[in-house]
Amino acid sequence: MTRAAYHYSFDHEHLLSIEGLSPLDITHILDLADQYAEATRAGRRPDPILTGKTVVNLFFENSTRTMSSFEIAARRLGADVVSMPVAASSVKKGETLIDTAMTLNAMRPDALIVRHSASGGPKLLSRKVDCAVINAGDGTHQHPTQGLLDTLTIRRTKGRIEGLKVVICGDIAHSRVARSTTQALHLMGAEVHLCAPRTLLPSGTETWGAASATTDFNKALKGADVVMMLRLQLERMDGAFLPSRREYFHFFGLTAERLALANPDAIVMHPGPMNRGIEIESAIADGDRSVITEQVEMGVAVREAVLHLLAGSRA
Amino acid sequence: MSLSIYNARLLDPATGLDTVGAIFVDRGRIKDIAEGQTGPHPDAKASIDANGLCLAPGLVDLRVKTGEPGFEQKETLATASRSALAGGITSFVVMPDTKPVIDDVALVRFIAERARASGGARIYPAGALTTGLKGEAMAEIGLMAEAGAIAFTNGDCPVANASLLKRAMSYAANLGATIMSRPDERALAGSGAMNAGALAARMGLSGIPVEAEWIGAMRDTALAEATGCTLILDQVSTARTAGIAAEARDRGAKVLTTAAAHSFFFNERDVGDYLTYCKVNPPFRDEDTRQGLIEALKRGEIDAVVSAHDPQPPEEKRLPFGEAAFGAAGLETVLPAMLSLVHDGPLSLLEALAPVTCRPAAMLGLPQGRLAVNAPADVILFDPGKPWLCEREHLRSRSTNSPFDGRRLQGRVLRTFVAGEEVFTHESIA
Repeated sequence: MTRAAYHYSFDHEHLLSIEGLSPLDITHILDLADQYAEATRAGRRPDPILTGKTVVNLFFENSTRTMSSFEIAARRLGADVVSMPVAASSVKKGETLIDTAMTLNAMRPDALIVRHSASGGPKLLSRKVDCAVINAGDGTHQHPTQGLLDTLTIRRTKGRIEGLKVVICGDIAHSRVARSTTQALHLMGAEVHLCAPRTLLPSGTETWGAASATTDFNKALKGADVVMMLRLQLERMDGAFLPSRREYFHFFGLTAERLALANPDAIVMHPGPMNRGIEIESAIADGDRSVITEQVEMGVAVREAVLHLLAGSRA
Repeated sequence: MSLSIYNARLLDPATGLDTVGAIFVDRGRIKDIAEGQTGPHPDAKASIDANGLCLAPGLVDLRVKTGEPGFEQKETLATASRSALAGGITSFVVMPDTKPVIDDVALVRFIAERARASGGARIYPAGALTTGLKGEAMAEIGLMAEAGAIAFTNGDCPVANASLLKRAMSYAANLGATIMSRPDERALAGSGAMNAGALAARMGLSGIPVEAEWIGAMRDTALAEATGCTLILDQVSTARTAGIAAEARDRGAKVLTTAAAHSFFFNERDVGDYLTYCKVNPPFRDEDTRQGLIEALKRGEIDAVVSAHDPQPPEEKRLPFGEAAFGAAGLETVLPAMLSLVHDGPLSLLEALAPVTCRPAAMLGLPQGRLAVNAPADVILFDPGKPWLCEREHLRSRSTNSPFDGRRLQGRVLRTFVAGEEVFTHESIA
C-alpha cells in the first residue's frame, strides 16, 4: 500500500465530547489551532473560510468568557455570528430545548454552539438539527473545547504531552472540564492524577483515563509537570460538601510552598474564573509559572480550528 | 355464552399444571379443565382450536399509572385497558397519583365507574395513603376501602414522615388494608436521574444510590413489623432489598415485594446516549445488580412482577436526561420481558408466569390469576417463541415511551379473554 492510502480526514459531524475522538483527531485539531495561534500572534488575518456562513451561539447558561471566545473565533474566520444568551428568555416560558433548536434550525445556520445546564443537552439537540453542533459545556458532563485548549497550552509550553504528569485538583465531581481535559490528555499519552476532597471525587474516574484519584494533594504534586486547579463553587464549600473555605484552602489550596513539591518547571493552569485565595493564591495565579492567560488565548485558536473543521468543510 | 378452548398447552402456575388440554367456560367462569382433551367440549356453543398455543391465566398487574383524571393526554383508563389487553394483562391496579389525587370515596367510585365504562380489563383503584399524597395527613382509608380501593399507597412520593407512616400502617392493619410503598429515602435519592456509579459520573448525571432504596426498605419493613400491617414494597430493584423483606417475613412480618418487568431486562448501560425512555425510577441498575435481581426472583423472594406502566408524552421525554420525566410505558412488554428470562435460561415458563398471575392475585385476595374451576375466565393464548420487533408507533398506549422501542422480543399474546369474552385478538390471526 502506498502512503496515500492513509490519507487522514477529520470525520466528525459534531463536537459533543472528547469521547469518540482519536489521538489523530486531537493532533489534527491542535496542529490547525497552532497555525491559527501563530497567525494571530503575527498579526495576520486567517483566510476567511467561513465567509457567508452563519454561526449561532446558543447559551442556555450564562458565560461571557466562553461565548466571547467562540464569537471572536467565528468572526476571525469571517462568519456571521448571532449570539443568543437564552438563559432567561424563551426557555423559561415553557419552550423546550428541542423547540428552540427546531426554530433555529429552520433559519439554516452552519454551526450551533451550545451551552446547557443539563448533561447531554447538546447531544439531544444534535439529533434534531442539520448543522454542526459544538458543545460549549453541558452540565457536569463535557466541555470538549476546554479539554482541547488545555492540551494545546500544555503542548506549546512543554513541547509534548506524552509522559507528562498532570495533576488536576478541585471539584472533580461537578467539573465538565475535569472530564474533558482528563480524557484528552490521557488520549495524548499524559498521566493524569485527579485530586479532590472525598465528597467531590466520584467513582470510576479510571474510565475517563485518570491514572489515579486521591485526596492527598501534597503527595499528588510530587514530580508533577502540570498543576491544574479547578474552580470550586462557593456554595459547595459551606457545609454541604466541605466544612468551610478555610479548611478547603488548608488542604487543597495551591500555595507557593505546595507548588514547590512539583517539578521546578511545573506550570500552573486554571480554566477560570478563579476564586483567588480559595483554590489558588494570587501570587501563583499571576506568577511566571502560570499559563492561565495563555489558556484563554489558545481557547480562541482551538475554537477557530474546530469551527474550521466542522463548519468550513460543509458545502 | 359457553366457550371451549381446546388443543392448548394449559399452564397454571398456581398448581404447576403444564399439559395439553382444554378449558370450558360458561357465564364468565372456568367450568371445566380437561387435561389431555384435544377436541371441543360437547356443550360449548363456540369453540376455539388453540393449535398448541399456550393458555395461561390473564396477567394481574399491581402497578399501572394512567392519566385519568387530570392528565388524559398521557393515558386514559380506556387506552390503558386496550394496551393492557394486548399485553395479556386482564386485571390491573391503578395508582392514585392523578389530578385530583384519588384520596376520597367519590374519586374511588369515579375510577371504578370509568373503569367499567372503558370496558375490557378489570381495573382496581388504589387509594392515596395520605391526603393529596402530601404525606401530611392520613386519607380516609376505611371509607375508600369500603368503596372498593384495593390497596393504599403514596405512589411515587413515599411518605417521608416515619411517624405518620407508622400510624397509617397501624390504622390500615386494623382494617385489614394493604399498603404499597416505594422504598425510597428521598434525601439520598435527591435529584438523581439514573443509577449512581461510575457511569453516571462519567455522563455527568446525578445518581440514585442503591442505599436510598435499602434505607427506605429497612424503614418501611421495620414499621410494618411493628404494626402488623401488610406491606408491599413496590418495585424493588436490588436483591438486597428483596432480602430485607424476606428477613422480615422470616420474623413473621407480612412484607411482600414487587419488581418492575423492565428491571430484569435492562441495565444502566441501556441509558446509552441519554435515552430518556430509559429514565425510570427505580433506575436501571448495573449488570451485577440486574443479575442479582433475577436470582432473587428465581428464589421466590420477589412476589410479583409489575409493568410499572407510566405513560409520558413526548413533551415530558424529549428533554435533556436530567430534566425528562421518569417512567416507561410497560403494559405490552411485561410478558415478553418475563419470557426473555425463559428463553435465556434462568426461569421455567411456570416460574416466569407465577409472579405475573397467581401470586399478585393472591396478594390482593383476587380469585383470578389461575386456571381453576369457578375462577373468572380471564385467560390468554400466547405463543412463547413468536419473534417480533417492538416499535413504539405500534404500541396501543396513548403514550409510547417504551424502553423496548426498537428491541427484538420473543413471545406474543394472540388472544385475550376477560370473563370468557374475547377482548383482544392479535392482527396476525384476526
